Amino acid sequence: MSDSYMVEPDVGFIKDVMKLGGQDLKKCYQCATCSVACPISPDTKPFPRKEMIATSWGLKDRLVGNADIWLCHNCGDCTTRCPRGAKPGDVLAAVRAYAVTEYAVPKVLGKMVNDPTKLPILLAIPAVIILVMGFLSNMVGLGWLSFAPSGEELWQASYINNYLVDIIMIPTFFFAVGVFALGLKRFLADIHANALLEGKTTQQKIDPVGFVQALIRVVPTIAKHNRFSECGENKERATAHMMVLYGFIGLFIVTNCFFVAEWVFHIEGPYSQINPIKWLGNIGGIALLIGGGLMIAKRLGQKEQTTSYKDWYLLGLVMLLGGTGLLTEMLRLGHMYNLSAFVYFLHLIFIWALFAYTPFSKLAHLVYRTVAMTYQEYSGRK
Amino acid sequence: MTSENKAPANGSIVVVGGGISGLTTAIEAAEVGYEVYLVEKNPYLGGRVSQLNQYFPKLCPPTCGLEINFRRIKDNPRIKVFTLAEVEKVEGGPGSYNVTVKLNPRYVNEKCTCCGACAEACTTEINDEFNFGMGTKKGAHLPFEMAFPARYILSKQIIGTADAQKAKEACKYDAIDLEMQPKSMTLQAGAVVWATGWEPYDARKIDNLGFGQYDNIITNMMMERLAAPNGPTKGIIARPSDDKAPQSIAFVQCAGSRDQNHLPYCSYICCMASLKQATYVRARYPEAKIYIFYIDLRAPGQRYEKFYKAIKADDKVFFIKGKVAEVSEDPATKNITVTAENAVTGEKIKQTVDMVVLATGMQPTAANAKPAADLNFNADGFIINDFDKGGMFAAGCANKPADVVSSNQNATGMALKAIQTLARQ
Repeated sequence: MSDSYMVEPDVGFIKDVMKLGGQDLKKCYQCATCSVACPISPDTKPFPRKEMIATSWGLKDRLVGNADIWLCHNCGDCTTRCPRGAKPGDVLAAVRAYAVTEYAVPKVLGKMVNDPTKLPILLAIPAVIILVMGFLSNMVGLGWLSFAPSGEELWQASYINNYLVDIIMIPTFFFAVGVFALGLKRFLADIHANALLEGKTTQQKIDPVGFVQALIRVVPTIAKHNRFSECGENKERATAHMMVLYGFIGLFIVTNCFFVAEWVFHIEGPYSQINPIKWLGNIGGIALLIGGGLMIAKRLGQKEQTTSYKDWYLLGLVMLLGGTGLLTEMLRLGHMYNLSAFVYFLHLIFIWALFAYTPFSKLAHLVYRTVAMTYQEYSGRK
Repeated sequence: MTSENKAPANGSIVVVGGGISGLTTAIEAAEVGYEVYLVEKNPYLGGRVSQLNQYFPKLCPPTCGLEINFRRIKDNPRIKVFTLAEVEKVEGGPGSYNVTVKLNPRYVNEKCTCCGACAEACTTEINDEFNFGMGTKKGAHLPFEMAFPARYILSKQIIGTADAQKAKEACKYDAIDLEMQPKSMTLQAGAVVWATGWEPYDARKIDNLGFGQYDNIITNMMMERLAAPNGPTKGIIARPSDDKAPQSIAFVQCAGSRDQNHLPYCSYICCMASLKQATYVRARYPEAKIYIFYIDLRAPGQRYEKFYKAIKADDKVFFIKGKVAEVSEDPATKNITVTAENAVTGEKIKQTVDMVVLATGMQPTAANAKPAADLNFNADGFIINDFDKGGMFAAGCANKPADVVSSNQNATGMALKAIQTLARQ
């Protein structure tokens, strides 16, 4: 550390973090209880005490590109022990939300995802895209959108053709992948530079092979939610998080299976209820609802942790995805085809939102935290 | 004082609490001619100060300060002292209060000569609260050598047992009266000064600091008793698990203070107390290392600052900016490891020491036992002084966390406030 250091506070950053759920930040008096209370904080340059003062001083550059904010699993042990009620756990969560919007371009979309007043616009975008694309297809005679299909046994694809769905969803998915890729490139360079600056790493350069090996070592930790179980408070949160994570993974597999079935093997849906892939889909949907429901119940039940819009956004999305998906199926099985198609339309809106907005929302943690944990493993930090 | 000016009608003052603040208020008011009733719930005067080994920053024994005050009380017929006395309720208003006081039995009357024969006859050992449970004392005992009034007491625990009978039979002076009953009386006074003092915050409540769980973690008030010549170890600082002379001691500052989960305020004295206690250890064990873990070291004023600087110059005393948030014990050696983040270097420290002292803070007595009187308390139980209303005032640590010097200054001021109430009538 140099002898003199000119602090250049970014006041806007402080205000943004406070708005994103870190409103008690300024109560911190740097006692460092949090760094010791945290069960997963390393011995060298532990967090979150240093992040608390950096945030308080508006040192944005020391936070946005700091892998430590992602090592935190927001279990709340620090917040429980904090003698001042400064809620370090919530501050780090807010800093993460800010960091996500810094890495995801276009930035204006990131700002919108974190702004509740912009939610109607965000949801209107996929609705308009689906409808406009559908009408266009009808105009050129493809007829991908039908409001009154005929036939004995209808399903949602009779209303909204799978071509229409996939032609919208696939580019959206790759848009998200692209946003993540651009963000990650900068993110990785930043966290490495920050680790070098703060003496948190023994590695001078990032060696791709070594990094991938570190990722392979980290995957079991993530899969088993080991970090969650180290936490003192909210240990049971691991179960709910696992349900949502594996629900999503299961549904992603299901989607891909049916994609292959449809476009490679040309097996038309709806698929039989006893099809194992169908089972997996149903279980995934139920897992989302139960996991999400448990998380909502826990957040409503506890006063220590602040729940801000970014949290409700993600929890709401989880519940709505699972809910509309299962409801579409149930309405179809109950032969209420029109209603089923409408719910399916909503389901598509939420899926689009999931794909398109993930790099800008709290859900981006699935990428950033994984990379940060991999980097820590790679850096050999104790 | 020789002034003989007669007190006006209703010219008496009740002082509740006979610690250093109550003594000061009582004596200052009495020495300018007012009648004072000093009501103390313990069987002795002196309060917390009587438990200390030394005052900071002069490092002189508190008994000498107390002795002067006891002398002044003895010499002043205007002060009536009631020990084992608890205020049950206060009625009335400024200028005219009725204070109901319950007098608990001592079972020993004024004929006691402090010969100690009753204690010798007594076989029951009871928990020694004066020494915070470190050791025991006889069922019949003198509260401590300097106790004022100098009179033995029989613990309630032995009343009705053969021990009490043995103690009575051993007394040659007919000073033991096992038939004593609690009595109630009403004192009339124009003003009441509450000097109900403080209690050490219950360190067991700080569940991450291991007190009550590990033998070698003690509180700062226990350290005072260990260092005091009249303490359970006769002034030898030894660690509780094996009586070993500690070669390393960690002080954990803000143990419960400045913590909204415990005491949200700064207890004011703990930094100075730990610095002072560092001198106790350094004087006895020249090779011992001291580690002081703190958030901010608060040594207010020029004299305390000087004291802090002197300790800081000691190369065996280490100051670490970072609050201890975790402790663990090695079951084999009984050594304690404290964990903190050094906020200056940004590294976690795990320091293993022979013994840990928790610098626990002060909680006003009223936080756990609110007096039945028309008083205003803040959220933490400190009495808020309402000078517009007048009549009743809080002095010393009943009003705010304070050291002895400020308590005495404050207590003198409250004596004047009480006098003003009387003079206005």
